[in-house]
Amino acid sequence: MKIILILSMLTISVIAQEYKAINVKGDVQYQTGTSEKWLELKEGAVLKSDAFVTTGENSSVKLTQSGNTVTLNELSALSVGSIKKISTDELLLALAMEDMINAPKTNRKGSSSNTATYGNKENSKVVSVTSNDFGAMRLNGAVQLAKSGLKESSVVFAKETYRKYPDTKQMAKYRIFFADILNEKGLYDEALGEYFEIEKLKLSNEERIKVESQVNAINKILLNN
Amino acid sequence: MTLNSEILSQSSFGLNGYWGLPQLFSTPYYTYESNVSNYFSLIDWGISLQYGAEFSESINSSLFLLGLSKRLGNHAMSARYTPGYQKEFLFATGESIIINDTTTQSLEAKYNYKELFGLGYSYSFNEQFNAGFTIRLFNQDFNQEIVKPVFGDTLYLVRESLNEKVNFWKADLGIDYILNDQLQFRLASINLLNFGDEPTIEEFQGFEMKQEKGALISASYLPFDFLNLHFIYETYNSFQLSTIGFENKFVYGLTVFHDIYQEPFIAGVVPAFGYRTDLFEILVSGVKYFSERSSSESFSKFAEDRIENIINNPYSFDRIAISFSLNISSAPERKVELIDVEIVKDIYPTFYDMYLDQPFAYGKVVNISNEPVSVRPSVRIEGVTEEKVQSPQVMIAPKDTTTIPFYVIIPEKYALDKTILSYADFYVAVSSAEPDDQLQKALLINGLNAWDGNVANLRYFVFKEPDFSMNYSKNILSVNKPLLDTIPDAVADFYKAEIIFNSFVEKLVYTSDPRATAEYVQFPKQTIELKGGDCDDLSVAYCSLLESVGIQTALVDYRSNGEVRHVNILFNTTLLPEQAKFITKNDSKYFIRQSSSGKDEVWIPVETTSLTNFNKAWNIGVEKFNLEAIAKLGIATGKVQIIDVY
Repeated sequence: MKIILILSMLTISVIAQEYKAINVKGDVQYQTGTSEKWLELKEGAVLKSDAFVTTGENSSVKLTQSGNTVTLNELSALSVGSIKKISTDELLLALAMEDMINAPKTNRKGSSSNTATYGNKENSKVVSVTSNDFGAMRLNGAVQLAKSGLKESSVVFAKETYRKYPDTKQMAKYRIFFADILNEKGLYDEALGEYFEIEKLKLSNEERIKVESQVNAINKILLNN
Repeated sequence: MTLNSEILSQSSFGLNGYWGLPQLFSTPYYTYESNVSNYFSLIDWGISLQYGAEFSESINSSLFLLGLSKRLGNHAMSARYTPGYQKEFLFATGESIIINDTTTQSLEAKYNYKELFGLGYSYSFNEQFNAGFTIRLFNQDFNQEIVKPVFGDTLYLVRESLNEKVNFWKADLGIDYILNDQLQFRLASINLLNFGDEPTIEEFQGFEMKQEKGALISASYLPFDFLNLHFIYETYNSFQLSTIGFENKFVYGLTVFHDIYQEPFIAGVVPAFGYRTDLFEILVSGVKYFSERSSSESFSKFAEDRIENIINNPYSFDRIAISFSLNISSAPERKVELIDVEIVKDIYPTFYDMYLDQPFAYGKVVNISNEPVSVRPSVRIEGVTEEKVQSPQVMIAPKDTTTIPFYVIIPEKYALDKTILSYADFYVAVSSAEPDDQLQKALLINGLNAWDGNVANLRYFVFKEPDFSMNYSKNILSVNKPLLDTIPDAVADFYKAEIIFNSFVEKLVYTSDPRATAEYVQFPKQTIELKGGDCDDLSVAYCSLLESVGIQTALVDYRSNGEVRHVNILFNTTLLPEQAKFITKNDSKYFIRQSSSGKDEVWIPVETTSLTNFNKAWNIGVEKFNLEAIAKLGIATGKVQIIDVY
C-alpha cells in the first residue's frame, strides 16, 4: 500500500547526465554502454550516464557536473548513471524492485554460502580491497557517493552490488554503513531487515554492539508507532 | 316467462377454499374457478382426484373431479374432468292430468346443469409473471313434461316430454404477479368469452346459466410459513378471505366467503386440512353454509333467479370433499435454479487451460429447497466442447442465492482460426445427472491466433506445437555440435541461446502484424515458415525454441507512456553471479534473478526484433531494460513487467 500511494505522487525523471572527469590521478579507466572494453580516462573527458568508472591503487578522479562533484578515490568503481539525486520514496521503490525482479518464489533459501571475510585497515573507514575485488570496488564507490550527499543513490548502487557480487554481502562494515543510511532515512523496516542479516555475519565486538543497539532502537520506534 | 332478478353466486368459489398461488399443495391448482391463470408450480406431471358428498336430505356421494397436469419448461397445461360438478332441479310445473277420474299425475320439469370438463394453459414469463387461460365446457339438460291434445273422433290428451341439451364454452384469462416472497397478486376475467348453443324451445329459454361478465382481483400476503393471508374480490361485490399455513408436512386452510346473493353476510366457511410428501398429498375440506338450506323451493323463484355457479349457489348444500393428488416426476425434484449467467471473458482457444483457473462466466444460483445442497455447475460450448465440462461443486444453504464460477478447458484439437459467435449451455445439477436448471448465453469464440493483449498469455503461444520447436532447435544445435563440445558446461546454455538466435534470425525479417491487428499472434512454426513477424511473434518464437531445449525464459512487457507497447525476452544463463565474468566484462549487461529455489542466477535480455546477430540483440535488450526497467523504476511502477514463461 505504501508503494501504491507513492506511485501516484512520483514522477521519475531520467535526465541524460554528462560528467566531466577532472583531477585524474593514476590508473583511472572507464567503460561505456554495453562495451566490453575498458579505456583509459583522460583529464577533461566527458562521460555519459551509461559510463562506468574505476580507479586503481593510489588513483583518483573527480566527476563534476554543474558544481556537483563526486570524488572517486582509489580502488573504487561507480556507474555515472548512479550519480543522481533521488528521493527517499524513489529509494523505497528501488528496494521494492529487488524482490519484483525475482522469479516467482516457492522455497526461498538463505543467501550465499560464501564465508570469505575481508579485513580492514586500522583507523580506516574504507575496506581495503584489491583490484580483483570488483564488488568491493563498487561498494567503495557507493560509500563515496554517500559521502557526496547522494545517500539514497548510494544504497541502490550498493544493493545492486550485493546481487551481482554476492561475496560483498559478507562485508559487514559496508553492510552496516548502508543499513545506517536506511535507518537515518526513516526506512525502519528495511533497515531492520538489513541489521538482522548483518547479525548473521562474522562481526567484531564493536560491530555487534552497534548492530544490536540499532536493532533495539528501531524496535522501540516501531513499537511506539 | 319474465325473469327479473339475477343471482350471481361467487364465481371464484372452490371446494378447497382459496389458496392464492399455492406452492405447497397441488390440489388447489385444479380449482379453475379461482386459478383462472392455470398457475402451477409442479415440475412434471400431476394427477388429482376429488371425491365427496353433499348433505341434502340424503347424502349423495360422487366423484367430484379428476385432474391432470403437465409442465414443460415454462409451459404448464392441465385438464380436469368434473363429473361431480352438476346440479339438478326437479319441479312440478303446476299442471296435472287426471287419469280414469281417480288418479292425478303432476307434470314435472327437470333442469340439469353440468360442467363437463375444462382445459388450462399458462406460460411463466419469469420468476414474477405468469399468465394463462382456462376454458370449460358446460352442459344444460332441460326436460319438461307437457300435455298435448290429440284431436280425432274423441279428444285425447297425450303426455309428452320436451327435451333439449344446450352446451356452451366459457373461457377466461388470468395474470399472476409475484412481487416478492411475501406479496403476490392475481387479476382475472369472469365470463370473458362465452360461446355455444342457445335453447331453441321456448319453454327453456331463460333457464340457461347466467354468464355476466366481470373480473376478480386477488392479493396475498405471506409473512410466515404458518400464516399466509389471501383475499380475492369479485366485481360482483363478493369476496373470499382465507388463511393458509404449513408446518412440516401438514397444512391447513380456512376460507370464509361473502356472497351478496346469499345470507348472512359471511355466507359460509371452507375449512381444509392436509398432509403432503414429495410424492403425494391428501386434503380434506368441507363447505359449511351459515343459512338454512332447503331441498324444496318454488319453481317460480327458481325461474326468476337462475344460477351461475353450479357448485355454489343458494340451492347448494354443505359438502365434504377429500382430495388425493400425485406429483409424478420423471426427473428428481428441482432443488436449485440458475437465475442468470454473466460471461466475463471471451474465449481464446489457444489459452486452453486458462479457464481452469480463471472462470469465464459466473452464474447466480438459488437453492429453492429446504436443505443445504451441493451444486455441480457444468457448461458445454457449442462447437468447442463435445461434452459438458464440470466446475467445482459449491455448497448453498437453504433459500440462499450465491454466485458460482464456470470453468472450461478448450480441447487440444480445436482448430478454428476464425472468430465465431457461438453459445454456451450452462447447467446446475444437485443429486442426479440431469440438471436442475440450465441457461443458454451467446459467447464469442476467438480464432486460434487471437490474443487478448495480456503479455502473460503469450506463454500459450510459446508452448503451442512444442515438438516443432524442439526439432528445430535440436537441428540447429546438432549442426553446431563440434563447437558446443568445446564449451564448458557452465556457459553451455548461454552459447546454445546464442547459436539458436543467430540461426533463427538468419532468414527472418521484422514485419508488422500480418493481420493488421495487435491481437493476432503467430505460433512459432508460423513465424519460422512465414519468415517474419512482429515483436510478439518473434519473442514467442525465440522463447519457444529456448524452452524446448530447457533454457528458462521470461517475457518482458514494456508499457512506457507515449510509446507503442513492446515485448522482448530475458533468458536464464544459469550462471551464478560469480560466473557472469565468463560471458561479459560489463556487469551492466546482465541481471540477477533469484530462482524459485532461492538461487541467484544471471539472466540477460535479448531484443528479438534486432534480426542481426545475438550480441547486437543482447546489447539492444540491455539498453532498453536498463533504461525502462531499472533507471525509470519501470518494474516498481508496473510499466515494465517480467512474465516467466514456464
